[in-house]
Amino acid sequence: MNSPPFIKDPKKQLPFALGSPALLWQVLFFYIPLALITVSGFLKVSELGAFEGFSLENFRLFFSPVYLKTILASLILGLSNTILCFAIAFPLAYFMAFTGRKHKNTLLFFLIVPFWTNFLLHVYAWFYVLEKHGFLNNLLIKLGIIGEPLQLLNSPLAIMIMMVYYYLPFMVLPIYSSLERFNESLLEASYDLGGNFQTTLRKVLFPLTSRGIKAGVFLVYIPSFAEFAIPELMGGDKKMFVGNVISTFILGEGTGSLGAAFTLLSGLILLLSAVGLYYLLTWILEPGGKHG
Amino acid sequence: MRHIKLEDLSKSIHNQVIIPKVDLVIPGGKFFALLGPSGCGKTTLLRLIAGLEQADGGKIYLGDDDITRKPINQRSINMVFQNYALFPHYNVFENVAYSLKLKKLPKEIITQKVYKLLEAFHLEAHIYKFPRQLSGGQQQRVALARALINEPDVLLLDEPLAALDFKLREKMLLELIEWQDELETTFIYVTHDQLEALTVADQMAIMNHHGEIEQMGTPKEIYEFPHSSFVARFVGTTNTWHGKLRDLEDSPKIEIPELGTFKIYIPQKKGWMEEGYDAVMSLRPEKIFISKKTLENFDNEAKGMVLEIIYHGRSTQYNVELANGEKIQVFEQNEKHFPEEDIDYDDQVNLYWQKESIVLLEK
Repeated sequence: MNSPPFIKDPKKQLPFALGSPALLWQVLFFYIPLALITVSGFLKVSELGAFEGFSLENFRLFFSPVYLKTILASLILGLSNTILCFAIAFPLAYFMAFTGRKHKNTLLFFLIVPFWTNFLLHVYAWFYVLEKHGFLNNLLIKLGIIGEPLQLLNSPLAIMIMMVYYYLPFMVLPIYSSLERFNESLLEASYDLGGNFQTTLRKVLFPLTSRGIKAGVFLVYIPSFAEFAIPELMGGDKKMFVGNVISTFILGEGTGSLGAAFTLLSGLILLLSAVGLYYLLTWILEPGGKHG
Repeated sequence: MRHIKLEDLSKSIHNQVIIPKVDLVIPGGKFFALLGPSGCGKTTLLRLIAGLEQADGGKIYLGDDDITRKPINQRSINMVFQNYALFPHYNVFENVAYSLKLKKLPKEIITQKVYKLLEAFHLEAHIYKFPRQLSGGQQQRVALARALINEPDVLLLDEPLAALDFKLREKMLLELIEWQDELETTFIYVTHDQLEALTVADQMAIMNHHGEIEQMGTPKEIYEFPHSSFVARFVGTTNTWHGKLRDLEDSPKIEIPELGTFKIYIPQKKGWMEEGYDAVMSLRPEKIFISKKTLENFDNEAKGMVLEIIYHGRSTQYNVELANGEKIQVFEQNEKHFPEEDIDYDDQVNLYWQKESIVLLEK
């Protein structure tokens, strides 16, 4: 049946109407800035900041060991954070979805409640825990495990703790939601047919929750590659990651286009590594082809 | 084929007793049905046998082997799950081959075995389809093939036909019986549907609301000679009255208040059968003959008035009000196209039954 000509088909209009604010946001605050960054990455400017033309000059600086090391450090930071988050998140999500379903709401609450406080407050809270005469050192001394306080703040360990702490929910939630939709009797069927824990994980649980796992992995990997606040605050001034280099250049005087160029370069590497990670995950999680 | 023996088996979940101490011998190579109302613990019992739950106490034997603590993946027992639990990311072949692949058998042997079984299950046209592309009956067959490919000693079926429509269910029941006949695997079939249980079982057990086994026997024994009023009421339909036992020595009778005294037959005298004991008389609706005429040659009769007539096709159900105001059900086979007498609403009718048709129950 045709709708009367004066009423437009709501089925076609509605999705567009609902999506347009997001699209507008996306264009204004993502595509336009991205275009600006791209253009300014190729700009050649004089000492005084005047436009002199386009060139690849900006990129040359970064093909030196110092900056390549920075990119490598970010790759390692992103990957290790992703792996650690997954190692904690998967068992936790599994517990919430199956074994400990009773405690699901409590755990979800505790997982989400940190988002209600400002990020800087989290950092200061961790300062109290990790500082020389802080909670953790005092505890370890009281327990007689160590004699002298350890240097915890301003170390790779402090960065890692804060990273995992901050990014864990982004890994738990998508995995939990895919586990919750998972039919538990499939695990029982696998055991019944002679499977052990590993084979059941590999052949049944991972393939059928791979969407959630992938979502969690990329939600954690991509921002943690570019993370600059946590290394800056927890790592002292010793650690330089991609995010720190970019912020230094962009905020520095007359180095804006260098920052843009480095953004583009590291963005490209992030993109390539993410694609590689995607295929690696598919290969690990879905032996024998793509599934739900 | 090996039998299953349960000894003092018990299980509680969240401090609630699901299975009190249960003793049960499930004969090897037979089709065994475990029938009980919803939530009575029959599925838990099945899961204990499968190894999906750990028993709190007691023992489970498969043949002479104590398998109580044996992990699920080492028991020669396989299960057909209620919702089939087919792996959605594997096609029919991969689902059925799953356990063989875990055993790391050579590829050619796996292929050969799976093809052979799928052919026997009439699934050869669907080998590369995924579960979601199959009908309910086909999914059921895949689940069955997957559970049978390892040639287990025991096959457990947890209400496997619950999701199918009536016609298909009847067909699958017959298929199951044929498979069991051919393989001689011990089948344990759990259901709350008495018709399914009576249809498939060589032997069956009735479980009550407390997880206790009320009676075990052939379907005919269970139906015709129930040991308790729970069994009599749960399996099939029955009419029950309370009455006092009389004249046990000469010609036994039961005296039902406001209704009269009826002859009964006691094939085997039990301890509780004493003069004046308040017993329950159970009489199946199809054992009663209904007529407007006065007939000879029946041991017992009662008068009543037809309240309702429900036509079932192959039989007609009459709900009759007796002289004492109680209502009873009568089933009459619709044998003839043009019945000799027409019974209508509000007709005064005579009900007749033989004393052998009565089952006396303790309470």
